Amino acid sequence: MYYYIFEQPKSKQERAAFEKIREVAREFGIYGEITQSSPARSAEELVMIALNKKYSTIIAIGDDAHINTVISKIIKCDEKYNFAVGIIATDPLSILYDRWGFKTAEEACETLKYRRLMRFSVGLVEPDYYFLSSIRIIPPKPTRITMEVDHWTAEAVIDRVEISNNLYILLERNMKETSIVKNAYNWLLGKDTTRSDQSIFKGKTIKLNSTDSIPVYIGTKQIARTPINVYRKLNALNIIVKRGKISSDK
Amino acid sequence: MKQDQVGTIVGSSVHLTGAIKDSSDITVYGSVEGEINSDSRIIIEESAYVKGPITAREITLSGFVNGTVTAKDKLELNSNGTIKGNIDTNELLIHSGATFIGKCTMPDKKKSDSVEGSQDFEVEVEEEGEEENEEEKNKE
Repeated sequence: MYYYIFEQPKSKQERAAFEKIREVAREFGIYGEITQSSPARSAEELVMIALNKKYSTIIAIGDDAHINTVISKIIKCDEKYNFAVGIIATDPLSILYDRWGFKTAEEACETLKYRRLMRFSVGLVEPDYYFLSSIRIIPPKPTRITMEVDHWTAEAVIDRVEISNNLYILLERNMKETSIVKNAYNWLLGKDTTRSDQSIFKGKTIKLNSTDSIPVYIGTKQIARTPINVYRKLNALNIIVKRGKISSDK
Repeated sequence: MKQDQVGTIVGSSVHLTGAIKDSSDITVYGSVEGEINSDSRIIIEESAYVKGPITAREITLSGFVNGTVTAKDKLELNSNGTIKGNIDTNELLIHSGATFIGKCTMPDKKKSDSVEGSQDFEVEVEEEGEEENEEEKNKE
């Protein structure tokens, strides 16, 4: 039996989409206990209820922040990682939607029904926030950061930092275009006259500090403030994946 | 963020200290003080400053490097590039305008059929003339 944890719908369309998923799940014979997070009962509390009721498959439906909250609580409570997690990402602009977004409720429920499991790694922001998508740091103004990663240290002024669950690190700095020709061309076409300077790294452990304390987000949810320590937890979660489309990220 | 095999990129606004290693390509636009090691390719762009040894299968260099450069297959030093340090490579291409101050070691291909050997020569040049190949120098 599946335990469904829906996010509180943000719009009428989302409410209708969630209702459709419930209907199709019933038709597909994968109906279980349906719950919805709310200010009165958080997604974390609902995970605790599911674990107490001995459900072995928990389905998280919602945006990145909601899904990450659910999986973070599951990992915190179940260190042996025996649970299977199903994901239906509903925000088309989110990172998880690339992997767990579905065009129709039928496609989503069919994936849940076939229950093809793969192990995925997750990131951990100390002390205990796990994430499957990525964390973002976007300071209000360019800010100097220091990063200690494995065997090296980097200093940079950044406009954006993104760290994925596999600890791929993206640093971005928006700079004024120095080429006069390109500047003129962009100006004539009404394009932005700044260019983005990007750095990409990989690591196993990251210690990130900044001159000013900056909030750290998953989706729209703030989970911490700098300084932060981020680690990778390999093969931490069993997740139901689409058939023949997703490769595990060991 | 896409997690494809994009390798490592050190942007121009980054100053990095320590050893970086990657099985994929490493591209440097910023400054690095320390060792850079790749199983694949290293590209040192024009804006880059590197102080430390570089090791890869293939290296393309347009910036400034102060340290030993070891390219298992091929090293290409572009016209804006500078190497202050020794080179160890199988195949070397230095473009006109490049600067190389140091000692170059290349395997002796004639000897290598029977006995392992190498050819060493020291170079201290700031090239201005036409494109040159170190192997041709050797023949001279």
